[in-house]
Amino acid sequence: MSVGDENPFGELLQDYVLECLPLAEQVADTFVELERRWRAGDPADELLGSLPGRLHTVKGNSAMMGLTPAQETAHALEDACGLLRRSSERRTDPAAALLITGGGLLVDLVRQASPELDPGPAARYVERVRQWMQGEGPPAADTQSERRRTDRRGGGGADKTDSVVRVDFRRLDALLEVLGEGLIQHSALAEAYRRLARRSGACEELDRLDQTILALEKTLKRLESTLMETRLLPIASVFGRFPRMLRDTAEAEGKRVRLLQSGGETPLDKAVLDRLSEPLLHLVTNAIVHGMEPPDARSLAGKPEEGTIRLDAAPHAGRVVIRVADDGRGLDEKAIRKKAEALGQELRDDEVVPLRSLIFLPGLSTAEQVSRLAGRGVGLDVVAGAIHALGGTIDVETEPGKGTAFTLSLPVTLAIIRSLIVEIDHERFALPMAHVAETVRAEPDAIREINHRGVAQWRGDLIHVADGGAVLGTAAADRAPRRFYVVMAAGGKRQALLVDRLVGHQDIVVKGLDPALGRPDVVSGTTILGDGRVACILDSVRILEGGRRAG
Amino acid sequence: MPHSFLVIDDSKLHHQMYRLIFSRGALAGSTVHYATNGREGYGLLAAHPELTLVLLDLNMPEMNGLEVLERRRAEGLHPHIPIVLVTTEGSAEDEARGRSAGAWEYLRKPFQPADVEHLVMRALAKAEPIA
Repeated sequence: MSVGDENPFGELLQDYVLECLPLAEQVADTFVELERRWRAGDPADELLGSLPGRLHTVKGNSAMMGLTPAQETAHALEDACGLLRRSSERRTDPAAALLITGGGLLVDLVRQASPELDPGPAARYVERVRQWMQGEGPPAADTQSERRRTDRRGGGGADKTDSVVRVDFRRLDALLEVLGEGLIQHSALAEAYRRLARRSGACEELDRLDQTILALEKTLKRLESTLMETRLLPIASVFGRFPRMLRDTAEAEGKRVRLLQSGGETPLDKAVLDRLSEPLLHLVTNAIVHGMEPPDARSLAGKPEEGTIRLDAAPHAGRVVIRVADDGRGLDEKAIRKKAEALGQELRDDEVVPLRSLIFLPGLSTAEQVSRLAGRGVGLDVVAGAIHALGGTIDVETEPGKGTAFTLSLPVTLAIIRSLIVEIDHERFALPMAHVAETVRAEPDAIREINHRGVAQWRGDLIHVADGGAVLGTAAADRAPRRFYVVMAAGGKRQALLVDRLVGHQDIVVKGLDPALGRPDVVSGTTILGDGRVACILDSVRILEGGRRAG
Repeated sequence: MPHSFLVIDDSKLHHQMYRLIFSRGALAGSTVHYATNGREGYGLLAAHPELTLVLLDLNMPEMNGLEVLERRRAEGLHPHIPIVLVTTEGSAEDEARGRSAGAWEYLRKPFQPADVEHLVMRALAKAEPIA
């Protein structure tokens, strides 16, 4: 942005967003809460009293930054709150709606923090507040469209800044790269030590070298955990956007819904949070649009008219578990099975296919009419795909008439993943440990063929066995039988992958794919191993879905 | 001689704004000390008798601007250093209280760099110690 010439503080736009966006979001959330309280007959004086100070700060800072639309919107809201504090008889539904619209507008304007925004929406909003304050009837009803006009998705770049990390995130990424190189060099050193020790036998100097390499590893681990902690943000920075969104959606759908949250303080790596926001938003929207019954239907069913959506996060066994639960009508299991069959999913009688492996199928939607809000062409398969891509799992439980709950389990960090290194046709590959259930020596007659597919006994079950070379497209015709198989599990699916050699466990730093390579179907990224070789990271989820390397 | 300033403000954004102001034009090369609350600011004031000017925000956690002024008066700490109380528009009452507690001037938010520069020039023009 080239505003430095006009505004003396132009280069501080990022600092402005960091400081003012949380304030604007608190204000906007408070407006939603005010509406609830007023409807329940509570004047909520103390909540109203918390607003002018925050609005005043946003107004002043916006003014100094030369962001006039944000300044004027904050000013109008401050005036409106002042009037509402003085006269409780004006605390009505239309007044709350007017405030909520303004809160959303303010959040958008602050988030975008652009001096080149169209001043129209703010000017129109200020005028509506002025009319309302003079008592000229209820405000006009184009509340939604005003927000949408200012909403330039993807333009903010400074989103999710609830918790203040005043370091450009790219620097933390760069530090991580450096750490990654250190880890790789450590592996190389350890490897060299092992060779040396084999060749020359034990001696005092080698012992000391071994100690030093171990100490270096400890140091690097400490550096890693400190750096990883620096990258953590509370999940509230994603949850925080939901109350307003939920209210808008519920209103548009004619539903009554309240949102209960817990565990907002649970920390997650920013890289995970960034990729989590869309799938979560989708699940919450789905819950309102498809899960919740309209108020009259709920009364008939003997439920409270107002539905409840719970959003809970908690750390669990080194991962973060997030639950999105509603008390709506539950999933229509019959319809889902019918739809799945129509999609060509073989539902054999001898196999009880769990609901969870059907609901995440591409193209599966049982909603009779695609709703305006939820029907954005994104199904649960995309949600599941996004969660799997994060090394996570998603599961669903549902009970007719009682509700539906999605349970997500995610790694706390993303960038360094514990992996199993395997060798297939002389190439090395990394398999994320999150999806590795077990490694098994492949005895000569352990694998049988059923319906042209290899199967093996594993923990009392029959599981499919795929050849690593066939999956990767590297299989040579006259090779020796592979000696091991890796049992992989994710999203309720299990499968074994035949490999030549198990090399060992290693923490790998995920690097993106070289765009020149294209995106082979079953490879999710690359990494550098201890010996300096580049290895592909296998996408376990794709392999479990039966994917093959393209070409 | 390069100037030395103390900013006592709980807003990191304002710290950055002052940093810009004190790095430009006639004030370039100035030293700036920052505190994010009154308690910390009071400590820095005590440690730096060479300060040219102090910019003190009114509303802060842990000892607000008025409390800093009152304590400084009570303890007679560096009375020669002018303290500017930073207020928001429409707080005339606070300004009056600030003055009686020993603020030399006040600066109203929203301010522009010229406002701060002007205050600094005036503080320098006042050759005599300001109480």
